[in-house]
Amino acid sequence: MKRLLPNPEQAGSPFACPTPSFSPNRRRLLRNAALAGSATLLSPILGSQSNFLLDSTAAPRPASPDFQIEIAEIDWELSPKKKIRTTAYNGQIPGKLLRLSEGRPVTIAITNKLDRAEIVHWHGQWIPPDVDGSMEEGSPMIPAGATSQVTFAPRPFGLHWYHTHTPAHRDLKLGLYSGQFGVLFVEPRTNPAPYDHEQFLVLHDWEPYFVSSDDGSEMVDYAAASINGRMLGHADPIRVKEGQRVLFHIVNASATEAHWLSLANHQFQIIALDGRPVPTQSKVDLLRLGPAERISAIVTMSSPGVWILGETRASFRNAGMGVVLEYANQTGKPQSPTETQLRWDYRLSGDSSPTAHAPDVTVPLVFTSRFKGHGALDRWMINGKSYPDTEPILLKQGLRHRLVFQNRSKDDHPVHLHRHAFELVSIRGAATSGIFKDVVIVEAESTVEADLVADNPGNTLFHCHQQDHMDSGFMTLFRYA
Amino acid sequence: MPDISDDFRLVPSVNKCKGALLKHSWLAIAAACIASIGAHSAQAQGNYEIQVYGAETQAPRTTMVELHSNYTADGQKQFIDGVDPTNHAEHETIEITQGLNDWSEVGFYIFTSEQSGSGIQWVGDHIRPRVRVPERWRWPVGVSLSMEVGYQRAFFSQDTWTWEIRPIVDKTVGRWYFAVNPALERTWHGPDVNLGVGFSPAAKFSYDFTRQISGGLEYYADYGSISNIASLHNQQQQLFPAIDLNVSPKWEINFGVGIGPTAATDHWIVKGILGRRFDWGRKTSQ
Repeated sequence: MKRLLPNPEQAGSPFACPTPSFSPNRRRLLRNAALAGSATLLSPILGSQSNFLLDSTAAPRPASPDFQIEIAEIDWELSPKKKIRTTAYNGQIPGKLLRLSEGRPVTIAITNKLDRAEIVHWHGQWIPPDVDGSMEEGSPMIPAGATSQVTFAPRPFGLHWYHTHTPAHRDLKLGLYSGQFGVLFVEPRTNPAPYDHEQFLVLHDWEPYFVSSDDGSEMVDYAAASINGRMLGHADPIRVKEGQRVLFHIVNASATEAHWLSLANHQFQIIALDGRPVPTQSKVDLLRLGPAERISAIVTMSSPGVWILGETRASFRNAGMGVVLEYANQTGKPQSPTETQLRWDYRLSGDSSPTAHAPDVTVPLVFTSRFKGHGALDRWMINGKSYPDTEPILLKQGLRHRLVFQNRSKDDHPVHLHRHAFELVSIRGAATSGIFKDVVIVEAESTVEADLVADNPGNTLFHCHQQDHMDSGFMTLFRYA
Repeated sequence: MPDISDDFRLVPSVNKCKGALLKHSWLAIAAACIASIGAHSAQAQGNYEIQVYGAETQAPRTTMVELHSNYTADGQKQFIDGVDPTNHAEHETIEITQGLNDWSEVGFYIFTSEQSGSGIQWVGDHIRPRVRVPERWRWPVGVSLSMEVGYQRAFFSQDTWTWEIRPIVDKTVGRWYFAVNPALERTWHGPDVNLGVGFSPAAKFSYDFTRQISGGLEYYADYGSISNIASLHNQQQQLFPAIDLNVSPKWEINFGVGIGPTAATDHWIVKGILGRRFDWGRKTSQ
């Protein structure tokens, strides 16, 4: 059993992994298989927690957890001058990196030491709704002071994450404004591209506050930002050697902010978006990650020096969004990314030819907002209604549904579909194919089309991943007919 | 005609909102209509920038250019101590404000006046640095502090050098907006130099009818010296029903009609503010 005990020292440094490693423990599998029968017999007497023992597959159910997560308040040092109090997993930010094997059942025990109920969502995993970690789908919350177990078979492989799925509304200490997030990495069976060194980077914004403007509605801004829980200049540098190929796994765990990352004099070769390999491994100067988006990209270390890998925009970098990258035998002041026009096009990673499949069903999803005052959050609507009054979208199993995201608002929306991935079909009318994601930014006053093959029955939540938007009604359920 | 104390000579006292209107055009026409139904009594007042300040400052790398157009439909009609009367005067003020960082800005004013027979006259210039409590401090209200120093020609104000400190507190709650500016003024050169510090508060509340249209009431006053508050008769008191049009983040539009109920106040003023915000080198996503 791997225990996730607090280890702030380790948590403070970027998650560096010289080689990917995870070897399934055959002895443990056999033991778990032997215990599975008795666990089934005990389930009627486990009360409300028995829901968490519903396995996503018929695989053997382990009797003891493979991992433990403890949810508790902590004091955390973003930098020596910036200390915060927040809620986190296992006393560290981000939570412990969970490396799992695709298809191999894993049991995770979650202890909630707070005085309020919590829940953990396994973002990007194609698992049943009762273990997905969303109350709206039917996953039970973990009561205050209780411990629950959840068992599922991780799939698909790739870069994913786990995080709280509770609403925050106007309490900016809750939900994703807190430190309740961590990386969930499901080992691929084969690596999509060779690399020498693997580095996990988790972005987050801190100390949120509401701002209002004369010409818009209230929004959330932040006083600080971090990568892997540390502000720029206060984490150990990422140490590299010339010629190395470093695979960066980047997760944007911000509650509301999209981030633009760059590394001067270097390019990113994108190999996967939201954990799914892309058909075209294009090289770009700049990465954009909306809230909840993930990018896996390789950088060939070809320009010795000391650099800042961080936000392109100085204001975010000054708030802490960056990490120093240091070549061997190089010293000096870290060089900042060059500010440039912020441009991003998902289609660079896709096939330019349209998808070969025609949809069986077209599902229009129109995003609009209702003004509630310059000093209030907008009320968000999907097809004219706010959650929980939104009409559920009916899916027919096995059919290809073309989701037409029509954003008629002036905000960008990183919309997320639970328990599935969709294939991008067109962006602003330009065709693409081969890009499978579970989060896509639908830019203001634009349309994105994506195909969803309904192959994972059960309630499925669809929502904007901006915490303030989902708290203000930007959610709906997909149900299987 | 009531007496006018020295406290209320023309001082291009500066209150805030934002915007601008073209000379004479529809503003003057509207003002003339209002004047035709207004009372006839007038006092001098420096209505060059009529605006209640909000606590927000311009963002760094942005410049706000505003034109403040104020037409006194019914004001002071007599020369007093050599100061030009305000009646039917149109004041055009250009305000240029540059954001320095997320907690400060500096503004620069060019005041002009136009009256029948006088043509366009340069009145003076002011400079106004302002600092605010950064939003990242997460105070429950917006707070900033404005300092304004400037010169105005004696033909328009016997007090030629003046200084103002203006605390600003504001708050937006849902559709409601509140702001208060308890400004203090001091004359550095002119007859009022020995009168000490004057108290000139301003306040505003408004309601968001829609995302684009807000309407409310603005209040401007001059109570005279804080050590010797003037009688109500000699105080300046003005109420402006006003609207703000929030048509774009780049534009600021404000329009109001001012009513001065006391003898020392111009009785009818129409004001408009038109502002355009320019971004310099700020990166936007595409």
